[in-house]
Amino acid sequence: MNILGLDALIFGVDDIQACTDCLRDYGLAAVAVDSNGGRFEALDGTAVIIRRSDDPDLPVAIGPAPSIRETVYGVANAADLDAIEDELARDRQVTRDGNGVLHSVDDMGFAIAFQVTVRKAYSAPDDLTNAAGHAPQRPLNQPGITLEMNATPRTLSHVVYFVPDAAKAEAFYAERLGFRTTDTFIGAGPFMRPAGSDDHHCLFMIQTPPHMKGCEHFTFHMGSGTEVLLAGTRFEQKGWTSFWGPGRHLFGSNWFWYFNSPLGCHIEYDADMDKHDDAWEARRAPLSADNSQLFLFNSKEKWAPGGPPPKHG
Amino acid sequence: MSHSDFFLCRMDELAEGQARGFDPLQRGKDSVFALVHEGQVRVYRNSCPHLDVRLEYRKDRFLSADAQLIVCYAHGAQFLPSTGECVYGPCLGQRLDALPWRLEEGWLVLEMPGSTALSGPVEVSRLAIHRIPTRD
Repeated sequence: MNILGLDALIFGVDDIQACTDCLRDYGLAAVAVDSNGGRFEALDGTAVIIRRSDDPDLPVAIGPAPSIRETVYGVANAADLDAIEDELARDRQVTRDGNGVLHSVDDMGFAIAFQVTVRKAYSAPDDLTNAAGHAPQRPLNQPGITLEMNATPRTLSHVVYFVPDAAKAEAFYAERLGFRTTDTFIGAGPFMRPAGSDDHHCLFMIQTPPHMKGCEHFTFHMGSGTEVLLAGTRFEQKGWTSFWGPGRHLFGSNWFWYFNSPLGCHIEYDADMDKHDDAWEARRAPLSADNSQLFLFNSKEKWAPGGPPPKHG
Repeated sequence: MSHSDFFLCRMDELAEGQARGFDPLQRGKDSVFALVHEGQVRVYRNSCPHLDVRLEYRKDRFLSADAQLIVCYAHGAQFLPSTGECVYGPCLGQRLDALPWRLEEGWLVLEMPGSTALSGPVEVSRLAIHRIPTRD
């Protein structure tokens, strides 16, 4: 089953305007958005989709609005859809809608869907580093950053669920959908990647009491750590509440910065995630501050020596 | 019990079904919020019982769209405005920390308990895993 990664996440929300403001300020492009919701796309066409929580076309909600309603995976071609349909139909309902999208449910009750991927080629600048001791990556006389530089979400990276039984959830994605576990936080849960993706994870699950079941966060890949810091700084300047970060995770090596959002879960920026193949041996470590990040910072208002003293010093 | 007074806002600036965050200790982040629900004023510490993080997704946005619930926009926990009790989410059954207040000449005055309750080192969380004292 050639699952390539996430194509879209669909949320049922109670405040379309607030979610629209949030996803636009985050940097996604609004497509066909109105008072009933719409689609917010990254550069490659992957998206977050918001709908009114009482939209009858949405799968059943896990908890009160706002909440995640469906996780949509992209596959390479129609034959992959047929294989997924055959596999899941052995023990659960699978439906195919008018657009050819498969809909079903995982072993934890999260609605999942599969479609021939929307991912498209796009053009965005490389992250060129001049590392001492190596040939420079940037041409001579080319500045690495500018005040106006772009920091646009490029592709939907990963989603994180709170689940009541991480072992059972892991078994479902491994045995039924061909996901690989790349690393595990002992007592929390697995980082998993589908067979058609080399990203460290597109799904991470955290075991919690059953009443917490739901989406913990989602994130899009930015082009670099610099872009995470820049996009997060701009997002915070627009008034959004920072939750955790900026910093750099240990498992996956990805930069992170998490914010509160009106979607009922965190929204994150990430970048520079590790890539793996089947030769990788999954690591296991207890979930701790040291194991969850290499370093962590808090942002503060811009300040420079010689000017007025820093605020909230 | 000792407390410190903070004049938050004029009462006529607080509307039914709206919440406002305040930064009485000038930390740069709102540490308390006030709201009027069914005619009753409530002031709560801006700290979720789950992880001791701020609730709002942006300035003054502490409530559900219909203003019937306080929501922690970190993990979606929902609280009754009248009592601060968590009725859905990670901290189910726990409560927001209600703070005493009084009306004085039309002003909402926070009577912040003690002198150290909110004046220790700045942290994002009381939990060890989230403990990040500022460097300065």
